[in-house]
Amino acid sequence: MSRSPQKQPTPESFLPVPPATFHILLALADGDLHGYAIMQDVAQRSEGAVRLGPGTLYGALKRLLEARLVDESGERADPERADERRRYYRLTPLGLAVARAEARRLDAIVRTARRKKLIGARPA
Amino acid sequence: MSAERIYRLLLRVYPPAFRAAYEREMVLVFRDQCRDGDVRTLGFWVRVFWDVVRSAPALRAETTRTVEVIMKLAAILTVLLGALGILGAMNEWGAASQHAGAYLLAIVLGVAASLLLVGAGVAILRQKNQAARLAVALSLVCFVAARLLFPWMSIFLQLIGFVVPVGLLIALYWPRKSSRLGAA
Repeated sequence: MSRSPQKQPTPESFLPVPPATFHILLALADGDLHGYAIMQDVAQRSEGAVRLGPGTLYGALKRLLEARLVDESGERADPERADERRRYYRLTPLGLAVARAEARRLDAIVRTARRKKLIGARPA
Repeated sequence: MSAERIYRLLLRVYPPAFRAAYEREMVLVFRDQCRDGDVRTLGFWVRVFWDVVRSAPALRAETTRTVEVIMKLAAILTVLLGALGILGAMNEWGAASQHAGAYLLAIVLGVAASLLLVGAGVAILRQKNQAARLAVALSLVCFVAARLLFPWMSIFLQLIGFVVPVGLLIALYWPRKSSRLGAA
């Protein structure tokens, strides 16, 4: 008996993406990274405003792996840190589509805020 | 006690399956944090504790699926109470000496309300929440009509007829999660 094909979730079905999770997707948009490199990327890009701890990071990565937005790209040592091998993570095509959809959603909100002069206008 | 040892103790708060998958990675990240930050400061440890307090309960809740278990138990209870309601109405019918119009209608409405409760319980078990909401709402309407026609209804029946549907409606409309990706 043939099994019915599993329904592929749409990128929009994952919206809204929680802020910390969106930061992880943004970090992985540049290429494969291990956990600590993701944390550093997020902290640098947000100028220290967002600091992910290991629990928050790996909790979010677990959910992203289960949702197939991210997958593991193997273990290797970080060339900048000559220590143990680390697990690297990368975006899947679905993960990239979700990141794009969330970016578009946030962009629409920002454009509305700008139109209503909540941002972008000089304070009186 | 070394900082890493304290952190390993803190990691015990996380679910065992999560620890089995990510403990090694988390300890590696913690080592990096110790190397790049000042482990002797209060701020460092506040951030570490806050991270554990923020992430561990959500991961525990995901593992035990508490809400799903409660909803399954509520559904089974609803089916049983609905069946009890049908038996109660049939008993009422048998005990009645004469079947006047309004009284007869009240019993029919009571049976309909109970049948709808049974249906709602089955729908919840089959995860058809929209059908369950409709059945519960209709059951409540039937029961209110029966109560108006037959004001001498027992307290027990009133509890089944009002409290169960109202409680189920609240549970079925309660927002579960803001996102499929958790709250992180």
